[in-house]
Amino acid sequence: MVEFVFRIGGQAGQGANLTGRSMGKVFTRGGYHVVGYPEYPSLIRGGHNVYQVIVGQKKVNSPVQKCDLVIALNKDAIFYHKDSINENGGIIYDSSIDLTQFKLRKDIKLYPVPYMELVKKAGGTARMENTVAMGATLALCGYPLEKLNGVLSDEFARKGEEIIKQNIAVAKAGYDYVIEHHEADKFPVKLKVIKHDKKLFMGGNEAVGMGAIKAGMKIYSAYPMTPASTVMHYLASKEAEYNIAVKHTEDEISAVLYAIGSNYAGVRAMTGTSGGGFALMSEALGMAALAETPIVINVAQRVGPSTGMPTWTEQADLKFVLNASQGDFLRIVLAPGDIKESFFMTAEAFNFADKYQLPVLVLTDKFLAETHFSEEPFEQEKVKIEKGKLITGGLPELEPKKRFKRYEITKDGVSPRPVPGTRGGLHVASSYEHREDSYSTESFSMRAEQVNKRNRKIENILKEMKKPKIYGARDAKVALVCWGSQKLPLLDAVEELKKKGIEVAVVHFSYLFPVDKEKVQEVLSKYEKTIMFENNSTGQYAGVLKEYADIEFDYIVLKYDGRQFFPEQVREVVEELKKEGFKGKNEIIHVNEREDLEYYNPAKYGL
Amino acid sequence: MSVEDFNFEIKEQWCPGCGNFAIEMAVKQALDELKILREETVIVSGIGCSGKTPHYVNTYGFESIHGRILPVASGIKLANHKLTVIGMGGDGDGYGIGMCHFIHSMRRNHDLTYIVHNNEIYGLTTGQTSPTSIKGTKTKSTPQGVIEKPVNPIALAISSGATFVARGFAGELKHLKEIIKAGIEHKGIALVDVFQPCVTFNKVNTYQWWKERIYKLEDEGYKPDNKDKALEKALEDEKTGYKKIPIGIFYREKGPSYEESVKQLEKGTFFEQSKKEVDLRKAYEEMM
Repeated sequence: MVEFVFRIGGQAGQGANLTGRSMGKVFTRGGYHVVGYPEYPSLIRGGHNVYQVIVGQKKVNSPVQKCDLVIALNKDAIFYHKDSINENGGIIYDSSIDLTQFKLRKDIKLYPVPYMELVKKAGGTARMENTVAMGATLALCGYPLEKLNGVLSDEFARKGEEIIKQNIAVAKAGYDYVIEHHEADKFPVKLKVIKHDKKLFMGGNEAVGMGAIKAGMKIYSAYPMTPASTVMHYLASKEAEYNIAVKHTEDEISAVLYAIGSNYAGVRAMTGTSGGGFALMSEALGMAALAETPIVINVAQRVGPSTGMPTWTEQADLKFVLNASQGDFLRIVLAPGDIKESFFMTAEAFNFADKYQLPVLVLTDKFLAETHFSEEPFEQEKVKIEKGKLITGGLPELEPKKRFKRYEITKDGVSPRPVPGTRGGLHVASSYEHREDSYSTESFSMRAEQVNKRNRKIENILKEMKKPKIYGARDAKVALVCWGSQKLPLLDAVEELKKKGIEVAVVHFSYLFPVDKEKVQEVLSKYEKTIMFENNSTGQYAGVLKEYADIEFDYIVLKYDGRQFFPEQVREVVEELKKEGFKGKNEIIHVNEREDLEYYNPAKYGL
Repeated sequence: MSVEDFNFEIKEQWCPGCGNFAIEMAVKQALDELKILREETVIVSGIGCSGKTPHYVNTYGFESIHGRILPVASGIKLANHKLTVIGMGGDGDGYGIGMCHFIHSMRRNHDLTYIVHNNEIYGLTTGQTSPTSIKGTKTKSTPQGVIEKPVNPIALAISSGATFVARGFAGELKHLKEIIKAGIEHKGIALVDVFQPCVTFNKVNTYQWWKERIYKLEDEGYKPDNKDKALEKALEDEKTGYKKIPIGIFYREKGPSYEESVKQLEKGTFFEQSKKEVDLRKAYEEMM
């Protein structure tokens, strides 16, 4: 259940994201479940940035549409969020801001705080205004300053004792000011420390990075692209500690080929990008498929096509990753639905790539990649390393002028793969169709045999594609179906619907492709009514399931305005459908935002 | 070991008289003379007539895609820098579609040898203009003659920061072999551009044409240790209207290769380090 929701908003460059993330840690350390959700335009200065913190005593999964408190770092934040404030909620803002320009509801409590004055008095320096606001927030909800002091000490550890001391003093000044000047005790939300907790508070991208490190990845080659870049930043920050290399290449073509080259040499490597970068990788994807060289690619989707809306979320690259590159070939597509799955499925992707010698795509999106979640530390001992038919020694000598049968026709479709340096394993990894000994061929029968060999891998792969997971009321008649990150708002919506007396199940797909028809039908046939929720405009996975599993949904609910679903929106849709008795069949429902608050261009609102 | 040990059972499928035969032989001889083991060698190619070379030299190989030799080779080298990695491409492959990788690989300085079969024409696609075709050259795609100036790979490599830049000629096998040997022994990126007559589609730049124009830098007492002089020599063909074309080593400088500059490789190759189990507890702490 959600206890407290607040938003920290300001101009790009004012640090809303970092401040919000710190606050997320403050509550995570006190035993709460927290989601930290950033929204920002593709600008370095200007525009509007906001970070929403959702705090719950029980598990919370998703951002929501309303909040209890707005922490305004500038006046724009008040304009953007005033209408999202719950009844009797409040605004913390700098005393110098003139509020007469905003038509604020009467029930909203105002908490002006002289940010800079308090910073100066407490002996702080410029850029510590956000710390004042953090202290002020804790005073309102009655949460002890100690947890914030601990987070500040950790965050500023590298900047030295003096900076830590200043920040702690500044936070206290904000806290004390609110206690002295405002009726803090009347603020509707009160939170205490439940327990001294040690949970992770981190984003999907970091979980992808951690999963890769755990899988033994040594090289991450990539080119920056939102929202994948923080995988690169995270891994780069871990280069020394885990002896890995991050290679920022000249483009995404080079990035994917570095990783393929490394995998060919027997060293696990990965690349990551978003849709546009993946477009550049398409040719190499097919090369990896024909050369049967393992490759793991993390595609963090954003709004397309083309540049689209770079910092917003969508699930519209699914059919692209399923079909990219010329020719027929098998690939595996995984779509984790939370940070735990991001960690384990990335690690698993490396095993799949090595065992089946083909491309494996880990498909995330901006929402999952950049949102932070509290979570128990991942049970890392559960990650097992499986390299399949990789060979690093022990082969007999080759006859003169002969090569190793790298592409031997095998029953399971996977051929032995010696790495360079292995005596007796000489072969050419080849993008040209080839014979068993890797020499190029245009023999019709060998071509067909090699295609069949590669396609045969699907039998064992399907055994490893896990069934979609069921959450909520398993035995309900209605199932809300989703894939990837959209599990998160759906899980929270289930709780809301329960309160309204509507019981539904959530069916979540994370092993997207290849599709095991029997498993899918077995799970979905249990439900009388199925409602697919997708963050795109055409229902891409619904289309895939129709093609590969002969599944038709009663409703396909689509959202494609740049945001993921909010639990409230899901609840509203389901309530409406219940009212009409779920009588629809193959019906498409569009759920886009009603409000139009554009962060990119505050000037259009006269800000 | 002998040169024959590098042979594969298949006979080369190139046009009789193709310059590629000499390049293939020079590579085999160089590997043999340097006593580099077959299993510790990887030859990476792209697409084109040159792309077939890894199949004919019985080492490890990777026939990749058009223009993408250098990133594949770089990934292999970064993963296991104890391997000898040789790139084998063409002028269209390396100086056309792969130009972006070319410039960045020159400045990056992975310890690779990159041999470019430069015949100033597209052969496998049956004779279109190449980035190194001289202005005015008439081809299937430029029947009225090439309008743009040719790429100067030697000057471009030097100005991009390459640490070993050389040029050979397929009609001078021994000289070519020595250059390739020097390139393999060089710690860092070694570009070996090779004039390689395409006997089928290039009726202009023939063996005879090159023989009349080339001369060996070392015969003039040239020392490849000065960047300014190297650039001057690199531009000589253009300045003389392609009447005087130098071959040999234009430029060589010592310094750490990319691999030698990666601290994480001090404990061994990534391949050797891959066997170690990873513990994430410290990484978790930071996120709490």
